[in-house]
Amino acid sequence: MKQNKKNPRLYLAAFLGIAVIAALLHFSYNGFIKPDIQRKNHKITMITKSTDSQFFRSVFSGGNAAATEYNVELVTEGPEDEEDYETQNRMIRDAVSDGTDAIVLSAVDYNANAEAVNEAAGRGIPVVIIDSDVNSKAVSCRISTDNYEAGRMTAEAVELVTEPEAELNIGIVNFDKNTENGSQREAGFKDAVSADKRVKSIETTYVLSTIDDANRGTKELLSLNPDINVIVTFNEWTSLGVGRAIDDLGSKDSVAVIAFDSNEESVNMLETGVVDALIVQNPYAMGYLGIESAYKLIENEQLESTDVDTETTIVTAENMFKPEYQKILFKYE
Amino acid sequence: MKITDLKERINERLNTASGVMTLLVVGITTAALAAGTAIFIQIYHSSMTQNMRISGEQTTEQISNIVENYMLDIDRSMESIKEAFSYEKKERDELLNYLVELRPDAVAVTEYDFESGELIGAWVGNEKLKPEIFTNLSYDRELIPENTDYYTISEPHVESLFENSYPWVVSITGVVETAEKKSVVILDTRFSQIASYIDNIGMGRHGYCFIMDTEGNIIYHPQQQLIFAGLKTENTDILKEAPDGSLESDGIIYSLKTREGGDWRIVAVSYIDEMVTDSLVSCVFLLLVLMLIVIIATLISSIILTKHITRPIEKLMTAMGEFEKDAAGFSYEPVRGSNEINSLSSSFGHMVIRIQELMAKVKNEETILRKTELRALQAQINPHFLYNTLDSIAWMCEDGRNKEAVEMVNALAKLFRISISKGHELIPIEKEVEHAKSYLRIQNFRYKNQFSYSFNVEEKCLKYYCNKITLQPIIENAIYHGINRMIDEGEIKVDIYSDGDDVIFEVTDNGVGMTEEQCENILKEDGPGRTGGIGIKNVNDRVKIYFGERYGIKIESEPDMGTRVSIRMPKIEEEYIEAK
Repeated sequence: MKQNKKNPRLYLAAFLGIAVIAALLHFSYNGFIKPDIQRKNHKITMITKSTDSQFFRSVFSGGNAAATEYNVELVTEGPEDEEDYETQNRMIRDAVSDGTDAIVLSAVDYNANAEAVNEAAGRGIPVVIIDSDVNSKAVSCRISTDNYEAGRMTAEAVELVTEPEAELNIGIVNFDKNTENGSQREAGFKDAVSADKRVKSIETTYVLSTIDDANRGTKELLSLNPDINVIVTFNEWTSLGVGRAIDDLGSKDSVAVIAFDSNEESVNMLETGVVDALIVQNPYAMGYLGIESAYKLIENEQLESTDVDTETTIVTAENMFKPEYQKILFKYE
Repeated sequence: MKITDLKERINERLNTASGVMTLLVVGITTAALAAGTAIFIQIYHSSMTQNMRISGEQTTEQISNIVENYMLDIDRSMESIKEAFSYEKKERDELLNYLVELRPDAVAVTEYDFESGELIGAWVGNEKLKPEIFTNLSYDRELIPENTDYYTISEPHVESLFENSYPWVVSITGVVETAEKKSVVILDTRFSQIASYIDNIGMGRHGYCFIMDTEGNIIYHPQQQLIFAGLKTENTDILKEAPDGSLESDGIIYSLKTREGGDWRIVAVSYIDEMVTDSLVSCVFLLLVLMLIVIIATLISSIILTKHITRPIEKLMTAMGEFEKDAAGFSYEPVRGSNEINSLSSSFGHMVIRIQELMAKVKNEETILRKTELRALQAQINPHFLYNTLDSIAWMCEDGRNKEAVEMVNALAKLFRISISKGHELIPIEKEVEHAKSYLRIQNFRYKNQFSYSFNVEEKCLKYYCNKITLQPIIENAIYHGINRMIDEGEIKVDIYSDGDDVIFEVTDNGVGMTEEQCENILKEDGPGRTGGIGIKNVNDRVKIYFGERYGIKIESEPDMGTRVSIRMPKIEEEYIEAK
C-alpha cells in the first residue's frame, strides 16, 4: 500500500527535476549564450549640426566604423542648416520617442538645445556630446576638440605663417555666437593672440555658417578694414567662404588666412596659397569615439573618461604632403 | 553560542550517512566536472588555436594568390601601357585614356622624362589635372627601376595631381624605351580590387587581414581610416621581424605570408579571445550550470534520503540509546520512514516491550527470592520461638518433668539442625517431615496437648526433595489461627502423597477456618507471621520461584469447619540437586 502511494510521487519528482533542468539549460542558453552570438544590439542616433560638410561626413564614417565593430544600429541625421537648433531639438525628441538607446549630439546652440537633452537624459537615454557642447549637466560624456586650445593653436598658426617683424591687423570671421565651439575657439584665439605684440587690431564679424554668407562677410570686413592682413575663421563652411573671398579679391599674397577643417576645396586652397594654414580636427575619431562611448554607456561599462579631447593639428602648405599629415588631411575612402 | 551550535549541527549532519554521501557525490561530481572542464578547456583551446592558425595561414595564402593575380593584372596593364608607347600619339592617347577609364582602380597614367623627371604626359580619365602642380607624390626618383623589365610599387600616398580630388593610391613605376626616347611611366592605382576582397575577409567576428611591406609600413588595411585617425595601431614592429607562419601575441594570432618577390607581407589577424575564449566561456558556463544542477539534485536527494532513511535511523538510534540508558523507564514512540525502517521500528517496539516485561519479571523474582531467603534465615533463629520453647523447657525442669524436658530439647535440636541443613534450601522430604514433627512436638508440649496431630506420608515420597521450612509455617498458621482459638481439641493432619509427577503436601486442621478473603490475604501478606517466623506467602513464593507458576500453595477453608492447605511440588530427585 505504501509502495503504491510513494511511487507516483517519486516519478512526479523525477519528471519535475528533469523538466527544471531542461528549462534551466534552455533559458541559460537563450538568455546568456545565444544573444551574444545573434542579437543585433542597440540603436544609437547621431544628430549633427549638418550632414553634408566634409567634417560631419568624416564623423559619420567614424561612427559607422564603430557601429560595425560594436554591432549597433546607427541612425545619422542633422538639420540642413547649421543654425537650426529647432530641428535638432525635434530630432532629439523623435529619436527618444522612436526608442533609441543613446544619442550622440553635436549641438547647434549651447543653450537652446539644453532642454531637449535634459528631457532625453531624464528618460534614461544617455547623451554623448561630440564636437559642440550643450549647456546641460545631464550629458554623460563629451568628446570633442579642446576648442579653447584649438583657438590657441590658431594663434600659433598665425605666428607660423607671418613674418616675425610684420604688424598684424587681424580679422575674425566667426559663425553663430550661440554655438559653443565657435565661441570657445574665438576666446582661445583672442587670449593667445593678445600676447603677440605685433597685433595692432582685431576686428570680428559674425556670419551664418554658410559659404556664401562667410564670403560676403569677409569681403565686407576687408572693405571696411582694408589694412587687415590676417584672417582667421573657425569652421569648414566659413573657411571656404573666406577662401573664396580672398581668391575672388586676388589678395592671397597680402592676406594670411588661417582656416579650420579640411575638405578637397580647402586643401586645394592650402596648396595654392589662398589659405596659409588649416587647423585640422579629427572628426573621424569624434564619430568613432562618440558611438563607442554611447555603446559602453548602454552596456553600463565603465568609460575611461567622460571628457575626451580629440587631436587637433596645424597643417601648412609645407607639411601637408608629409606622410603623417596626408593621413590626417585626406580621408581614406 | 549560536554559531558554535550551528557548527556542531553541521558537523553532526556531515557525520551522517547521507551527509557523507552528499559530500562524496558533490565532491566527486565537482572534481570530475572541474577536471573535465580543465581538460576540455586545454584541448579545446589548443585545437581552436591550431584551427585559427591553420585558417589564418590558409587565408593569407588565398590573399597572396589574389594579390598575385592582381599583380599579374598590373603586369598586363604595364605591358599594355608600354605597348601603347610604341604607337603614334593619337592612338596612344586613345589607348591610355581607355585603360584609365576602363580599369576601375586605375586613377592616372603619367609620363616623365627619364633624365629631368619633367611631366610630359598625363592620362587621367574623368579627373581634371591641376593647372599648376605644386607637389607630385607619384613621381619618386628613387623608385625608378634600372631597366624596362622591372617596375616598382610605392607606398600608399595621396594623388596630388588633380583639382579638388585627393584619392589614396599606390604608384607603379616603370621605364619605357622607344626609338626616340626613354621615359618613366607611372600608373597610379587604387586598391579597390584587393581592398574589396580584403575588406570582406573576416577572421572570426573582429579579425581581419591587412597588407604591409617588409618595413612594417601598412599598404592596405581594412580599417585604414581608424589607423589614420590614431584610433588603432598595428604592432608592425613585431610583425616585420616575424618569419612567415603564425605568431601569437597578446591574445592575438597573426598569420604572416610574404608575397613572392618579397616586398609585401600579408597578415591575418584573429583574436583568440573572441573566437576561443567566448565559446569557451559559453561552454564553461554551460558546464557550471550543469554542475550546479547536479549539486542541487544531490542536495535534494540527500534531503529526501535523510528524511526517509537517515532521520528515522537517527531517531531509532536515539531511541536505542535512551533504552540502553534507562530500559525500564523508556517508552517507545514508533519511528516512521521507509518500509525497512518501519519494520525495524516495529520490531524494536516489540522487543522493547518484551524486554521490559522480562526485566520486570526478573527483578520482581529476584527481590522476592532475596526477601524469602532472608526470611528463611530469620526463621532459623526465630528468637520468640526459641525463647518460648526454652522457657517451657525451664518450667519442665523445674517441675521435675525431666523426661519431657529431654524430649523437648531433642525436638528443638532436631528442629534447628534441619532448619539449618548446612545452608541448603532443598532438603529431602523425610527431613522436612521430621522438622514438622519436631515443631509439632514442641508446640504440643507448649500448648499442653490442646491439639492432636497425625502424619500420613507416602513412603515413596520421602526420598524426594522439597523446600525446607515448607510445612512448619503452615502448621504454625494452623495452630495460631485455627487451633489456638478453639475450645475443643484441635486436630492437625499432615498428608504427603504423590500425584503423577508431583508431590502434594497437605496440612488440614479442624480449626475456626477462614473466609475466602482471609485465604487470599494470607497468600498476599508479605510480612512475617505474628510470631516473627516465615509466612505462608513466603513458602508459596519460594515454591513458585524454584519450580514455576503451576506449583505452590492452595488454601481451602470453611469457617468453623477447618482449613486445608495443600502445597504442590514437583518430584525432585537427589540427582537433580547434585547436578545443580
